[in-house]
Amino acid sequence: MSETAIEIHDLTMAYREKPVLWDIDVEIPRGSLCAVVGPNGAGKSPLLGCVLGTHQPANGWIKIFDVPSDRSDELIGFVPQRESVDWDFPVQVLDVVMMGTYRRLGWFRWPGKAQKDWAMECLSAVGMADLHSRQIGELSGGQQQRVFIARALAQDAKIILMDEPFAGVDAATEETIRTVLADLKKDDRTVVIVHHDLQTIEDYFDHVLLLNLRLVAAGPTKTTFTRENLLRTYGGQLTLLDEAAEAVRRIRSGRSIRKSGDL
Amino acid sequence: MQPNTLVVLLGTTTLGLCCGLVGSLLLLRKRALLADALAHSTLPGIVLGFLIAGSQSYWALGLGALLTTLMAALLVSRLPILTRIRQDSATASILGIFFGAGIALLSIAQRSGPGAFSAGLDHFLLGQAAGMLQSEAITLTLSAAVVSFIMILLHKELLVSCFDSSFGKGIGMSMGRIDLLVMLILAVTIVISLPAVGVVLTAALIVIPPATARFWTDRFNRLLTISGMLGAIAGAAGTLLSSFRVDLPTGPVIVICAATLFSISLVVAPHKGLLGKRLRWIQRKQRREMQRILIFLHENLQSGNDFVARERILAGSLNASSSALRLCILYGYTEMAGTHIRLTTEGIRRAERSISARDRWIQWLDSEAEIDRNLIDLDEEDIEKLLDRKSMEIPPVDKGAAL
Repeated sequence: MSETAIEIHDLTMAYREKPVLWDIDVEIPRGSLCAVVGPNGAGKSPLLGCVLGTHQPANGWIKIFDVPSDRSDELIGFVPQRESVDWDFPVQVLDVVMMGTYRRLGWFRWPGKAQKDWAMECLSAVGMADLHSRQIGELSGGQQQRVFIARALAQDAKIILMDEPFAGVDAATEETIRTVLADLKKDDRTVVIVHHDLQTIEDYFDHVLLLNLRLVAAGPTKTTFTRENLLRTYGGQLTLLDEAAEAVRRIRSGRSIRKSGDL
Repeated sequence: MQPNTLVVLLGTTTLGLCCGLVGSLLLLRKRALLADALAHSTLPGIVLGFLIAGSQSYWALGLGALLTTLMAALLVSRLPILTRIRQDSATASILGIFFGAGIALLSIAQRSGPGAFSAGLDHFLLGQAAGMLQSEAITLTLSAAVVSFIMILLHKELLVSCFDSSFGKGIGMSMGRIDLLVMLILAVTIVISLPAVGVVLTAALIVIPPATARFWTDRFNRLLTISGMLGAIAGAAGTLLSSFRVDLPTGPVIVICAATLFSISLVVAPHKGLLGKRLRWIQRKQRREMQRILIFLHENLQSGNDFVARERILAGSLNASSSALRLCILYGYTEMAGTHIRLTTEGIRRAERSISARDRWIQWLDSEAEIDRNLIDLDEEDIEKLLDRKSMEIPPVDKGAAL
């Protein structure tokens, strides 16, 4: 299998006449844990949408493991933004995870015992087997994220896209999600995450993609997540500029302190 | 019972089933108002069909209704995309415009033609199942059966389209086609229900059964099943009741039946009904109160006071409710001795059990990263069951830090 999971070439996307992504050219290596970072309206969610196939780019193409995305059979898992899910919807945890098996089932066929067992296995992998018969609204924030991760596992997705899984979760939940992410990476899955908290990028992700309608920079966090690149990403927005500068300062000075503190 | 009534009954029953199924989709997509808009937009079609065909042939009126309702559906779904009009405004406007046009056409038809009201067009406003011809009832049954069959066959795809359509697109299901199918099914359902339920009330038969079913289940498949069944019951009961008195329009009676089922469910549904909720709340409250009393008495027992004055329980720092205290006595946990209360041996055991369960529970909660709101307020029995199932395996607290 190719070393490049997602290859995006000359991608431009527009809502009506307004461009939301302009001339994106990037490769995301297999097995990476990649953060998509940029200010509001930078086109982060549309970028995920293009990879997933829910949004149509105006120009350019995307290849998934060297196969053009519209012909690719590779299943891509998607963990939606928390607010975009109707948590009151009458589905139980297991029903959501079973949706991951629908593609392989095809039209008209109903899921049976094999699909159910597989879904349970995927739920166990994220430590949620106990809660399989809960209505999804009865779960805590971290558990809700894990249900959707289990659905991606049920798809046997090699690539998983997440839209701000860390938004508005508490410290303990954040830790739980990180554990699951580490497991996904161990399985050689590629995970692409829209992330807002500049403070944690260095700790959580090995790759980063800086986006502001255009691609500012992409690559390993160590070489790409720099002050210069962040300033270019967040442009003249003063408060954000300060935040970015603060994050970089913390990384520059704090990294050595923390590393020695861990030892 | 006349054979015609039997056929009509069969027709309205399958119609109810069909409406209940289709309605579930609208409820879950939060588009209930769409049913109302589409139902009202059939009126100009009915009258136009009548004017063009010159008679009230079932097919002419039905075709006209289907055409205008599809036109309305197209406008409602396209306007918010092409302009800045929001979806709810678009839906409400279309409802008013089409229905207004329909009423205007109706009065024109009445003045020019042989009299639209004498031709029975007014029956389409409120529905008159008893007046249905046998052929109409059979068409109705067949169409409703086909729609229901399609929905059962495609329930998996429909679930995805209602719950998470971007996921559906991502796995290559054509959500556009499914949305189109839902619109089409809805339009057909509305048109076939016109003779029985009428323009004004069709939406109610579509929306009330799924809203009722939501009280009984948390699962998609069951919601569809229950909603379909409730619709069928309402359809059958309404037809029977209105056939006792021919001058009673069927539509309102069917809707009243559906509403009755809704009211009953609202009160008695076990998990979400008001009665069950209230009772559970009172029970929880009462048991917490009893626990407080038992633990208080146990503390006193530890410090040497076997007997505690009733006033000290009902007032003072404990301030417990007297009904909880009566329950403690009723269950045999405490006994009265004059104005004083003391724990029985059974009560001591219960108090000790509840104290130890509480301690274990707090220990477990401290070790759990995520506190589950459904699980924090439990009785000693539940705590014991739960902790035994998890066999008290307290996970290492720093499991995330080990990365």
